[in-house]
Amino acid sequence: MNKNETAELNRRDFIGSFATLMTMLGGVELMTHAPVQAADLETLVPFQIKCGVIGLGNWGREIIATLSRLKTAQLVAVCDTYSASLKRAANSAPNAKGVEDYRKILDDKEVQAVIIATPTHQHRDIAVSALHAGKHVYCEAPLANTLEDAKVIALAARAARKQVFQAGLQTRSDPQRRFLLDFIRAGASGKAVKAHAQWHKKQSWRMTSPNPDRERELNWRLNKATSLGLVGEIGIHQIDAMSWFLSARPASVTGFGSVMHWKDGRDVPDTVEAIFEYPGGAHLNYECTLANSFDADYEMLYGSDAAIMMRGNKAWMFKEVDSPLLGWEVYARKDQFYKETGIALIANATKLANLTEKATEEAAYTTKPLYFALETFLTNVNTVSSAVEDFSATFDASDKAALEKYVSEIKLLPAATYQEGFEATVLAIKANEAVVARNKVALPKEWFELA
Amino acid sequence: MTARLRAANANPEKYLMNPPRFLYVATLALLPLLPFSLRAAQDWVRYNAVPNSSKVRVDGTSTIHDWSVESTALGGYVEFDPAFDLNKPALGKVNAHCDVRIFVRQLKSGKTDMDNVMYDSMKEKDHRRIDYRLTEMTLKEAPKSPDAPFLFDTKGELVVAGVTNKIQMPVSLFRIGADKLKFTGSTSVKMTSFGITPPTKLAVFSTGDDVKLTFEWLTAKKEQK
Repeated sequence: MNKNETAELNRRDFIGSFATLMTMLGGVELMTHAPVQAADLETLVPFQIKCGVIGLGNWGREIIATLSRLKTAQLVAVCDTYSASLKRAANSAPNAKGVEDYRKILDDKEVQAVIIATPTHQHRDIAVSALHAGKHVYCEAPLANTLEDAKVIALAARAARKQVFQAGLQTRSDPQRRFLLDFIRAGASGKAVKAHAQWHKKQSWRMTSPNPDRERELNWRLNKATSLGLVGEIGIHQIDAMSWFLSARPASVTGFGSVMHWKDGRDVPDTVEAIFEYPGGAHLNYECTLANSFDADYEMLYGSDAAIMMRGNKAWMFKEVDSPLLGWEVYARKDQFYKETGIALIANATKLANLTEKATEEAAYTTKPLYFALETFLTNVNTVSSAVEDFSATFDASDKAALEKYVSEIKLLPAATYQEGFEATVLAIKANEAVVARNKVALPKEWFELA
Repeated sequence: MTARLRAANANPEKYLMNPPRFLYVATLALLPLLPFSLRAAQDWVRYNAVPNSSKVRVDGTSTIHDWSVESTALGGYVEFDPAFDLNKPALGKVNAHCDVRIFVRQLKSGKTDMDNVMYDSMKEKDHRRIDYRLTEMTLKEAPKSPDAPFLFDTKGELVVAGVTNKIQMPVSLFRIGADKLKFTGSTSVKMTSFGITPPTKLAVFSTGDDVKLTFEWLTAKKEQK
C-alpha cells in the first residue's frame, strides 16, 4: 500500500475492514440491519417502457447497450436497413424483434417509444411519422441537417402534446451538469467573460465497408450534402452546453475549417474552429480536430473569480487569488493540473465515497450522460403516458383541452425539449455554414423561433 | 336441472331467440313504470368533477422530514335529491350520492424515486385507484353569509390498496357562481389500517403511520341534454 492509498482510506473502508477482522477473529458484527419493509430503490422496477431503436450504427449499439442496463427499459424492436447491422444488434438484444423497415415498428401497437439514431439527414421522416403514430420520441442531435427539416420535426413534436419528445442533447439531463449550472448561476465563478470547448481525437471518421454503395451510405459524415461536419455532429453537444451555462444564445458565429490530415478525397474539414459571440461580449471558442488527440475533450468557463473545467462527468474550479472565500473549498478534494490546483466540484459531495474518487478514474457506465438522458426519457414517458391514461379514465375523455392542460402542468424531469433541440440544431447548421465558407454568419433571433 | 335449462344448454341460440313467455309478461307489466323511473333519475341534481380545478394533498411524517404528495386529478360526481334545495336548506340528513376517485399514480411528491416507493407500498399495480363513497351526509349548519360554506358531517367508505375503511369527516361546501360547488375537508387515517406498511429504508428513514388527507374538490352541474 503506497502513501496515496493510505491517505485515501476513508471511515467507511475502515469500519468495513474492522468488522471483517472482528468476524474473522470470532467476533460478531454488532451492526444490525432493519428489516426491509418497503421496496428497495435498487431492486424496485416501478415500470417498464417498451422501446424500439431505429438506426443501429455505432451510436445505435451504444444506445442498445445503455438500454440493457436500464431496468425501466424493455427493448422490443430494433431496426436498420442494413441486414449486417441488424444481425449484429440482434446479438446484444436477443429479445427484440429485428426489422428493416421502421414503419413496422411504428405500426406495432406494443411499442410505446422509439429512439432514433439514424444518420442526421434521415431523422425527419422517421421522427415525424413516429410522432404521428403516437409514439414517444427520443431523436438524436442534431435533429436534422437542414433548417426546414429541423423545423418540421420540432413543430410535429410541439403538436404532439400527449407525447414526450426529447432531443439527444444528453448533458441537459446529466445531474452533474445540472449541479454545475446551479453553482455557476449562483455566481460562484463571478461574471462569465469567455468560454472554450474542444474535442480532439485522432481518428479518420471513415468507416470501412464491403462495397462502394454501403461505403457511401456508411460515411455520410464525410459527405458535405449530408453532414454538418465536426462542429455540427460533434460540437452541437458542447456548444449547446456552453450556451446553456452562459444563459444566452450567440448573436453570430465565425468559422474556419480545413482538411489538414486526412487527405483522402474528403471535402468535410478534419480540423475546425468556430467562435461564437454572445450578447454582452463573451465569446465561446470551439475547436475540433481529427488530426491530434492531445487533451481530448472538455469545456472551460472563465469567470472573473474562477475558471471552471468540465470533463465528462467531472468538473473542477480554479480560483483567482482575489476571489472571495466560499468556505467549503477548504475541505474539498483538490487535484493538481501542472501548476494549477483544481477544486473538485462534485454533485452530492456529502457522500464520502465521491470525495475519494480518483481524478482520472473512468466514469462508471451508469454515470455516462447517455444513461441519464435515456433514464430521464423513459421516466418522462411513463409519467406522461400514465397521466393521459388516468386522466381519460377520470374525466370526460373527449375534453381534449382539459387533458392537454393537465399534461402540460405535469412536472417532468429536466431534459432537452423540442425547442432546445431545434435551437441547438440551428446553431449547428449555421456554425457549419460558417466553417465551410470561412466567414461570419449572423444569428438573428428569428432563426431560433418556430412558426 | 330443469327441462328448459337443459334445452338452453343444448341449443343456446334458439333459447336466446325464443325467450320464455314470462319475460314478455314482465316487460309489459313494467312498462307503465318506466316514465316514473326515468323522471326520478333525472330529478337528482348531478354535479361532475371539473378537471384541473381540484387538489388533494396527503401529508405525512418521517424520521428525516415531513413529506407530502399532491394531485389535481380528483374525479367523480355528487348528486342531490331534488328535495334538498341549496337556497332553502333544511338542517339534518341530506339524500345524496357521491363517488370520488383518484388514480394512485397521479399522486406526486416531486421526487420520482420516492413516488415509486410510495406506489409500491400502496400496491398500485393491483389497486390502481383510491375510491371514496359517501354513505351519509348531514347538514349541520347553513351559510350565514353569501360567502360562507354549508357545513356537513359525512360518513363514507374509503378504499385504499384494496382495503375498505369507514371514515367520518366534516365537509364544507361552497357555492361558486350559479352552477358550481366546491367541497373542502380533511381527515386523518393510518396507513396500517389499509394494510400499508409505512415505507422504511434500511435505518436511513422510516415514515410515520398517520397521514392527513386534505382536499378541495370542484364540481359543476351536469348540463341537461
